[in-house]
Amino acid sequence: MRLFASLCLMLSLVLPVGADQTLVMVRSEAPAQYVMDVLKETLPEYGYTVAHTQRCDGGMAEFHYKSDFYRVVFFGKLEEVRTILARHPEMSPYLPLKITVVAENGETILASMDPRSLGGFFPEDAELQLQFLRWYNDIEAILDEMRRLKKK
Amino acid sequence: MKHFNWLLLLFCMPLLAAPDGKALYENNCSSCHHSQGKGGIGLPLTPEILSQLSDAYIAKTIRHGRPGRIMPSFEQLSLAQVNAIVRYVRSWTGKPAPVFQAAKIKGDAAKGKPLYEKHCVRCHGKDGSGEGPGTGVTMSRERTFMVMPAALNNSGFQKSASDAMIRDIVASGRKSSDMPSFKSKLSDEDIAHVVTYLRTLKPPVIKQGMEEWRGKPAYIMESPYDFETTVENVKQALTGANFRIFPQRYLEQGLVDEFSVNTRQVSIRFCNFKELYHLLNIDPRLGTVLPCRINVMAQNGKVLVISANVAHLATLFNNQELSEVGVLMEEIILTVMEEATL
Repeated sequence: MRLFASLCLMLSLVLPVGADQTLVMVRSEAPAQYVMDVLKETLPEYGYTVAHTQRCDGGMAEFHYKSDFYRVVFFGKLEEVRTILARHPEMSPYLPLKITVVAENGETILASMDPRSLGGFFPEDAELQLQFLRWYNDIEAILDEMRRLKKK
Repeated sequence: MKHFNWLLLLFCMPLLAAPDGKALYENNCSSCHHSQGKGGIGLPLTPEILSQLSDAYIAKTIRHGRPGRIMPSFEQLSLAQVNAIVRYVRSWTGKPAPVFQAAKIKGDAAKGKPLYEKHCVRCHGKDGSGEGPGTGVTMSRERTFMVMPAALNNSGFQKSASDAMIRDIVASGRKSSDMPSFKSKLSDEDIAHVVTYLRTLKPPVIKQGMEEWRGKPAYIMESPYDFETTVENVKQALTGANFRIFPQRYLEQGLVDEFSVNTRQVSIRFCNFKELYHLLNIDPRLGTVLPCRINVMAQNGKVLVISANVAHLATLFNNQELSEVGVLMEEIILTVMEEATL
């Protein structure tokens, strides 16, 4: 019994649950502008500062898009950014972190790069690996909150 | 010790419980296929479409994905979890799944080739890659097809679709798409030849980025010029490469007040809108790596010019077409960086 229980615990710790993911994505039933507003309120609750929001949709309608809501939200923690860039300037293209918010059929898709996908570039830096994991956990939790938003 | 065991068992409950297909679908599939299977970035899973797909095909598709066609492989899901997702999706139809024999169909590939070229190439392409950018149906933009033609040469498709299922689709056509029935044009024997020919189609070789930058997160070059001159050089080189440049930002801008921001780290953002929209059509998730930018940083007495390794970034999307664009972009960005630091 003890062996079985220990085996179960080991399995629960090592078994991954999803695809070999490089992106973290969720769908929210709520409309994009509302999701954006909530997202901007939620990020500070996790200790992040929203650095800025970039529109990537100017003139999308001209290119036959049904919806032109396409935003990228940049966010980060100053000290983390400073510490990492001092050690790894090659991380600068990936900072601050970002989440993309796209309208789709009255619903919203949110997507972010899985920071753990950068882990392979820094096999020697255990601290950075841990940082990637922390970011992933935060992004996943934040996106999960957005996923739970209901239609307005 | 007894309590410890119970505690361990409590931790393991998710492993021991029967998988919840709805929860698994919502966590793994709904962002692309929509919560009710209406489609989006991914293929719609409407009752009409599902009526032609066997459970085995769907399960194998989940397992193997479609390399280079957005759909990732979910090899980490257990068989029970995959089956739970299939059962959940199937429950939308209210009808039993079609069942196809797993046995290979015997045909002549040489006879199938001209038939394929006559009847199938227009939509599926000469090499079977499928035509038109991206996959899926709705997203945020208009689509030419309700469902993009399948990439018949894709290894995920080849592993998932049985000969009998392909034969059925060729004979019946594809509901909810422009694929017609070929029953009146092709005999059973002809269809067998076509199916056998399809099995000879090979996936294209995907181009990779430059060898010297593989395995690196970013392109990084040291500038022989001072910080300000380097920034101007990058801008000029980008303009010369037909990019529109946005107002530059400090890397820390927005994270700290304007008096404390490090002004020796700037991000030069650039775009070619026509290309951008073309790329968004190929993959709407592209925003996760936008905007294009080249950073200039003064650090430890050096001036560094840095860009993300775009050839690598493009591979994150499991989208072959985007990966090829990433390789092209790599060349352009490296040229700009080299020009700025010459």
